[in-house]
Amino acid sequence: MFAKRCLWITLSLLVVVALVLPGCAAPTATPPPEEGTPAPPPEATATPPPPEATTPPPPEKMVFRATFAWPTYIDPAVGSDFSSTSSLVNLYDTLVFPNTEGGVDPHVAESWDVSDDGLTWTFHLKEGITFHNGSELTASDVAFSMSRMLEIGEGLAYVFLGTVESATAIDDYTVEFKLAQPSGLFLISLIRLYILDEEEVMANIVTPGPYGDNGDYGKEYLLTHDAGSGPYMVEEFPLEEYLLMEKYDDWFGEFGENAPDVVRFIATTEAATVRTMMSRQELEITDQWQTVEALEALDEIEGVDIVAFPVLTEFYYMVHTRKPPTDDIHFRRAIAYAFDYQAAVGLEWPGTKQSEGPVPAICAGHNPDVFVFERDLEKAREELAQSKYADQLDQYPVDVHWCTEVPAEEKFALLFQANMADIGIKVNIVSTPWMSMVEEGGSEESSPHIQTTYVSADFPEAGSLLKVRYHSDAAPTWSQNEWLLDADLDQRIDDALATVDEDERYAKYRELQEDIVELCPSLFLYDQVQKHAVQSYVDWPPARGEVIPVMGYTMFAPIIGVTGP
Amino acid sequence: MSFAAFLGRRAAHSIFVLLGLSILIFIIARIMPGDPARMAVGARAPQWVVDNLREQMHLTEPLYMQYVYWLRDALRGDFGISLVTRRPVAADIKEFFPATLELALFAGIINGAGGIMLGAISAWQKDRWVDNVVRVISYLGVVTPSFVFAILFLLLFGMTLNWAPTMGRLSQEITRPATVTGLLTIDSLLARNPAAFFDSIWHLILPAVALALGGMSQEARITRSTMADNLSKDYIASARALGIPGSVIMRSFLLKPSLIPTVSILGLDFAATLGNAFLVELIFVWPGMSRYGINAMLRKDLNAISAVILVLGVVFILTNIAVDIIVARLDPRIQLGGGRSE
Repeated sequence: MFAKRCLWITLSLLVVVALVLPGCAAPTATPPPEEGTPAPPPEATATPPPPEATTPPPPEKMVFRATFAWPTYIDPAVGSDFSSTSSLVNLYDTLVFPNTEGGVDPHVAESWDVSDDGLTWTFHLKEGITFHNGSELTASDVAFSMSRMLEIGEGLAYVFLGTVESATAIDDYTVEFKLAQPSGLFLISLIRLYILDEEEVMANIVTPGPYGDNGDYGKEYLLTHDAGSGPYMVEEFPLEEYLLMEKYDDWFGEFGENAPDVVRFIATTEAATVRTMMSRQELEITDQWQTVEALEALDEIEGVDIVAFPVLTEFYYMVHTRKPPTDDIHFRRAIAYAFDYQAAVGLEWPGTKQSEGPVPAICAGHNPDVFVFERDLEKAREELAQSKYADQLDQYPVDVHWCTEVPAEEKFALLFQANMADIGIKVNIVSTPWMSMVEEGGSEESSPHIQTTYVSADFPEAGSLLKVRYHSDAAPTWSQNEWLLDADLDQRIDDALATVDEDERYAKYRELQEDIVELCPSLFLYDQVQKHAVQSYVDWPPARGEVIPVMGYTMFAPIIGVTGP
Repeated sequence: MSFAAFLGRRAAHSIFVLLGLSILIFIIARIMPGDPARMAVGARAPQWVVDNLREQMHLTEPLYMQYVYWLRDALRGDFGISLVTRRPVAADIKEFFPATLELALFAGIINGAGGIMLGAISAWQKDRWVDNVVRVISYLGVVTPSFVFAILFLLLFGMTLNWAPTMGRLSQEITRPATVTGLLTIDSLLARNPAAFFDSIWHLILPAVALALGGMSQEARITRSTMADNLSKDYIASARALGIPGSVIMRSFLLKPSLIPTVSILGLDFAATLGNAFLVELIFVWPGMSRYGINAMLRKDLNAISAVILVLGVVFILTNIAVDIIVARLDPRIQLGGGRSE
């Protein structure tokens, strides 16, 4: 009896669930109210309008949703990764804005002057720009934002540290920066100076804090609030879930015709979740971390396209130049000739191209005429024969450390291992967690023979990458495993970066690239292509190459057009 | 032993367990590779920023002194600042723990009710087709990890059939009730917001079922075997001989004593779910403590790791005490605090 009853209860429950599931799903059959649609005021429900009232319904709000790898920091002095910068460019304004030629256009600053010695930069601001709280943006806010960034030292502060000595408001609409040395990159670096409302930040500091009188410098407040003047403002930010931003109607810039009213950045990169959201049109653009296989699956969804565009990132095999056997230039050249670059490119998304030298082709100042290695086993053997380790290859295996967090790197390491076996070089492949890589890079001894790493230029200009890749200052960091420690190269990189004249600077970059290739300190595998799945009702200018792919700026919502779902 | 004495004794034991646990996690968190300060401020931050943070976190002090600082602050409810979320860990736990607790509670209800019901049916219909079907389903449930169910449900009910929500705790258009307990189902009832209540239940179904299926299958297996074992006992034969109806035998003589091992495992399953739910939370973008804890470990967020494990330890201890009490209620021969009465 009891068992029968249990059986009946179970069956009944199953029937109920089967009936209820589609029933509950019914609301999704009709489109739900759009995100951010204001709820009717209580009075409206108390006294409903007469049936003949002809009040038009509020216009439907257009939503733009994208997934990102978390955490996201919306404090300009803390955030530095893709999701953070994508949020920052929408919440804050900058003095200048990157243009499609790799330079900058005026933004908050309407003009600027530079002193003859290149040490003093004066910016003249537009009047009437307001923060989200209604107060006016002035020069003291700009100076405060720079000082705060330098004092905190986190996030993207490294682009200013050592270069900027001080920032001073001359009057309400004039701000002056004093530099420690002339810098050709200073102007473009200002695309990373997000302007905060000084008054709002200082009204929300927590004391005591690590920054003396400035307490915590508003870090706790800016975790979940913005103090900016950008095209969007924070509406809701439950950490680890999503960032919801609403359009700021009083923004001084110009919104595109179909710019979204609401922007929602969602904290997931999980392939199954992303695929489901795309198929349900709950997501407009996927994150860039989807695998080739996941993108192929997304491509099969009706109304979803895959777009790919080159970015400022190059994939390097960084070869230690001070550790046997890779300290021998002939050994390094042998490796460079033995590697099958076309096979490596074939492992990536269609359209990926082999790098031409140490700077991605999309960067201003790139030299397309440098020597490009191709697989040639005969030349590889010739070079190896000239190496002092030619007769002792068994005693000198080469360690290749690839990043555990990027599983796709393993297939390149396996290809490298197989290629090197063709010329008798033994290769040990070591999966290395990212933070161990960072620690290994701290000393010449702990750095491996080869480290495989993607490195991005901070700005769309060759010099910013040459500095972090080959200058001695970068040797004890993860971004240079080569340990070149070449004083002449350092001096020439510094000289190029200090050259304010653009043409002259680019010419110096080009010469540097040629000379670096001569030293053969790295294998230049390919220029990275950023891949996203995009709904067909989204007009995304970066996909058409109309936006220089500086990190974050590809997600600048005012230029994105949304006409669905 | 009286109930009060039992609780006092267990509380005293728990203090030592938590102290031992805190030392263990403190050491483990610190021997993991990677500099937590460097991980927090980023690979390109200047060294002085890293050094300042190391000093703030007492990482420049000897290990035993670091533990003393940590324990002193932890006793005041201050677990330090999370290196990932950049806010007090206590605030993070307060926000993320209820989300996981709510999920685990729902999973526990499905797990317990489903497991016991299936186990009882299977035992009563022993060696018949119903038993065989339940056994096959149970085996499948036990061997399939919860994240496989999660992905399956997501793709089937979320993507293909479009029946159920696939992410978060509440739909975008639903107004979130004011936080009282952090459990959205309870908070929406307190706020008299039925839309939020049903919506939060609706969001719970897929992740909770995905989490529950493994445990439910295990509970079904245990209930079945214990009941089948008890079915062959003399007292059941006597009851049958006396003409007592089958439903009464099942309810009064068979089910209750057979539930003891099931309840014990159920308790452990519930506590384990809080820590093991991370993949399900990841798949359903569930802002829970389990996902938070895993992210903390991946980024060597020392303070968050220690706090999460400590919270899980407390939940394990409380659950075990609760299980002991329930078991003693189910079988009066079992005394609280150990032993059996004659």
